[in-house]
Amino acid sequence: MGLFDKLAGWLGLKKKEVNVLCLGLDNSGKTTIINQLKPSNAQTQDIVPTIGFSIEKFKTSSLSFTVFDMSGQGRYRNLWEHYYKEGQAIIFVIDSGDKLRMVVAKEELDTLLNHPDIKHRRIPILFFANKMDLRDALSSVKVSQLLCLENIKDKPWHICASDAVKGEGLQEGVDWLQDQIRTMKT
Amino acid sequence: MATTVSETKDSGEANSKWLDAHYDPVANLYTFASCIALADLHGDGENKLVVGDLGTGASNMKLKVYKGTSLVSENMLLDLPTGLVSFLMDQHEPRTPAIAVASGPFIYIYKNLRPYFKFTLPSLEVNPLEQEVWTQAKEDMIDPTSLKEMLEGIRETAEIPLSVRSLKFLMLERQAMENFVSIHKQQPIRRQTVITCISTLKKNMAEEDAVSCLVIGTESGDMYVLDPEAFTILSKMSLPSVPTLMDVTGQFDVEFRITVACRNGNIYVLRRDSSRPRYCIELTSHPVGLVRIGKNVVVGTADETLLGYTQKGKKLWMVNLPAPVVTMATMDHHTRGFQAVLVGLANCQVQLYRDKNLVSTIKTPDVVTSICFGRYGREDGTLIMTTKGGGLIVKILKRTAVFDDRDTVPGPPLAQSVRLNVPKKTKLYVDQTLRERENGVAMHRAFQMDLIRLRLTAARAYAKALECSLTPMSASLTEPLKMNAVVQGLGPTFKLTLYIQNTAACKPAMGLAVCFLYDQTLYSMKTTFFKIPLLVPGLNYPFETFVECLSDRGISDIIKVFILREGISTPLLTAHINMPVSEGLALS
Ligand SMILES: Nc1nc2c(ncn2[C@@H]2O[C@H](COP(=O)(O)OP(=O)(O)O)[C@@H](O)[C@H]2O)c(=O)[nH]1
Ligand SMILES: [Mg+2]
Repeated sequence: MGLFDKLAGWLGLKKKEVNVLCLGLDNSGKTTIINQLKPSNAQTQDIVPTIGFSIEKFKTSSLSFTVFDMSGQGRYRNLWEHYYKEGQAIIFVIDSGDKLRMVVAKEELDTLLNHPDIKHRRIPILFFANKMDLRDALSSVKVSQLLCLENIKDKPWHICASDAVKGEGLQEGVDWLQDQIRTMKT
Repeated sequence: MATTVSETKDSGEANSKWLDAHYDPVANLYTFASCIALADLHGDGENKLVVGDLGTGASNMKLKVYKGTSLVSENMLLDLPTGLVSFLMDQHEPRTPAIAVASGPFIYIYKNLRPYFKFTLPSLEVNPLEQEVWTQAKEDMIDPTSLKEMLEGIRETAEIPLSVRSLKFLMLERQAMENFVSIHKQQPIRRQTVITCISTLKKNMAEEDAVSCLVIGTESGDMYVLDPEAFTILSKMSLPSVPTLMDVTGQFDVEFRITVACRNGNIYVLRRDSSRPRYCIELTSHPVGLVRIGKNVVVGTADETLLGYTQKGKKLWMVNLPAPVVTMATMDHHTRGFQAVLVGLANCQVQLYRDKNLVSTIKTPDVVTSICFGRYGREDGTLIMTTKGGGLIVKILKRTAVFDDRDTVPGPPLAQSVRLNVPKKTKLYVDQTLRERENGVAMHRAFQMDLIRLRLTAARAYAKALECSLTPMSASLTEPLKMNAVVQGLGPTFKLTLYIQNTAACKPAMGLAVCFLYDQTLYSMKTTFFKIPLLVPGLNYPFETFVECLSDRGISDIIKVFILREGISTPLLTAHINMPVSEGLALS
C-alpha cells in the first residue's frame, strides 16, 4: 500500500472496498438493479439475460462496491457457492410477481443460508421484493412471510419493495446495506 | 442431516425432490391428459398452461389459459374437446404457436387465442342401398313403415354402416316417422365420423420450434396427417380398429412412426412408407395409457400393469401396479437428460418409473386425471396435474433432486438376479445320465432286490437278538426288565453303575443275578457275579461295582453284562458296555 493510499485511508478519503454478491432467480431483475446503482454515465440501456456471471464495480458516497451479478438460470445456480467466501454482503432479489416460483426462491435461499461458507458468518443480507409495479405483485411483507425471513436470526437482514426499471426503492436498500457494512469490523 | 436421510426413504421421499409450487383444490378444471399442453403462447419466453376444460360434459366447455398461478384467459368451446395440441403453423415472426382443439368432426385452430380456422373431416362414403331407399322416400314411392323395414334390412347386412340420419329414424316411434321423413328427405345424406385423438408431427425439421403437421385418428379407424398451413390431407392411413391413444415421432417428409393404441386392445405401429400398420402388439388387457421413452413404448393397461415394448413390438418388461392406471405422461427433462414415465393411479399416487424401476412416488390429495411435465413459466422441471375433483397441482423439481434407480424397487432382492456360476457338465456326468436313461428299469430292479435283502437281514438279526436276549430290554412277558449302564472315572479304576428296573405292572421280580464277562488280561473286577434282591415294579435300582484297567497301552474293550434267572442258562437280557480308554496310569 502506497503512502498516499494510507494517508487517504486515515483521513477517511479512501473508500472501503466491499464484495457484494447479487443473487436471485433468473428474470428477477438483478442485472437491472445493479445497472440502476451504477452512476448514470455507466448504465447500459438494454439488459440481456446474464450467462454465468458478470462483475460490476462502482462507488457510492462512502463505499466502493464490487458486485458479482450471478446468473439465476437453473443450470448456473450451482456456480453461486464458489463466490460465497469472497462475499461480504448479499443482495437477494425476488420477483414479487412470480408467485409460482416463490418456493424455488425459498429453496435457493435456504440452500444459501445453510452453506458452510455462509452459515456461521454475520453477513448482511438485503432483499429486494422487486417488480412491485406489477399489477399482481406480492407485498414485501407477504414475500418475507413466504420466504420465512423471520427465521434468519444470526444475520442482519432487510427487505424493501422495489421497481428496478424506474429505480424506486433501491436507495433505501442500499443505504441500509452501507450502514451495515460500515459497522462491520474490518 | 439424519432426518433428511430418513425422510428420503419415507413418504417425505417425494418432498425431497419436488417443491409444492401451487395447489388449488377448487380450480374447477376438469380434463384429461389429451387436452392439456404447455406453450409459449405470447412469445415472451414464459410457457403458459393451455387446457381444454370438459366442464360438466354438457356445458361449460372452455379453452383455459393459465400463467403462473392464475387463470388469464377463457374461451367458450362449442363442443366437448377430445384433444388439444399446440403447434407452430408457419415460419412467420413472431413465432408463437397455434392451438388446435379437436371436438366432434372438427378441429378448431386458435391463433393468439382467437379463432382462426375450422377444419372439418371429409365425409364418408354413403351406402348406395341406403341412398336408394331415401331417394324412393323422397319421391314418395314408399311409406315410412316400409322405409323402416328396408333400412333395418340394410343395417343387418351392409358393409358400409348407416348414416346418423337413418339411425335416428330407426329409433323413432311410429307416429313421429312421417314428420321426420318430410323434414329430412330433401337433404342429401351425409355420413360423418368424429376425431378420437390428435397429435403433432414435425414437417421436415427436427428442431424444437419446427413447423408441425397435425395427426388425427378417427372413429372410422382412419389416420390423417394434415398440412399445417393449408389444412389439406397430406396422408391417410387405415387401422383395423378405432384409435384411442397415440404417440408420433419423426418428420413427415423424412421418416416417421405413429404408435396407436386401439379400442380392440392392440397397438399398431404405422410408418411413412405404408398405409397399413407395420407392427402389431397384442395386449392381454385394454391400454389406458401410452407414452414413448426414447425408442421404447410404455403402455399402462386396464389390468394394473405397466409394460415396456421396443418400437418393433418386442416385450421388454412388465411390472404390476398397486392400483388401476388413470393417466400417464412422459417426464422428459432436457437439461438434465432425464426421461421417465409418470403414472397416475386410482389410489391417489403418481408413480415415476424409469424402465421397470419405480424411482419415486408422489402422494396426491385427490385422484390425478391428467399429468403434464415440462417447462412452465420459466421453470424447466414443472409437473402439472389436474384432479378428479377439479383441482390443479403444480410441483417443481428441485435443482438438487436426484433419482436413484434402485431406491424403491419392490420385489425380489438384487442377489436373486445374479447368475450363479454353474459348472459345465462333465463327460462323466453325461455318461452317467445316459446309462441311467438306458438301463433305468434294470437299475430299479437291482435296487429293489438289494433293499428287500437288506430288510431280510435286518429282520433276521432282530429275531436272533430277541431269541438270545441280546438286548438291554427283556423280551419275555413274564420277566419284563430294563437295564442301562453308566461308566464313570478316568481310569485306571472305573465305577460301573447298572440301573435295573422292573417294568411289570405289579409283579415283583425275584431270584435274579448279574454276571459280567470280560477279557481278563485287560480288566479285573472284584465281583463278577452278584445276586439282585427283590425288584419292586417301577423303581430304578442302581448297582455299583468297580472295574480296574490292567493295561497302560491305551486300549479298551467291551464288558458284557448278563441278567440271569437262577437255574436257567439263557440270560434274560444282555448289555455290551463300551469301556473308555484308561487315561490314568495303573499303579503297579
Ligand atoms: N415491471 C418490472 N420489470 C422489471 C423490473 N426489474 C426488472 N424487470 C424486467 O425483468 C426482466 C429481467 O431482468 P434482469 O435484470 O435481466 O433479471 P436477472 O436475470 O435477475 O438479471 C427484464 O425484462 C427487466 O426489464 C421491475 O421492477 N419491474
Ligand atoms: Mg442478469
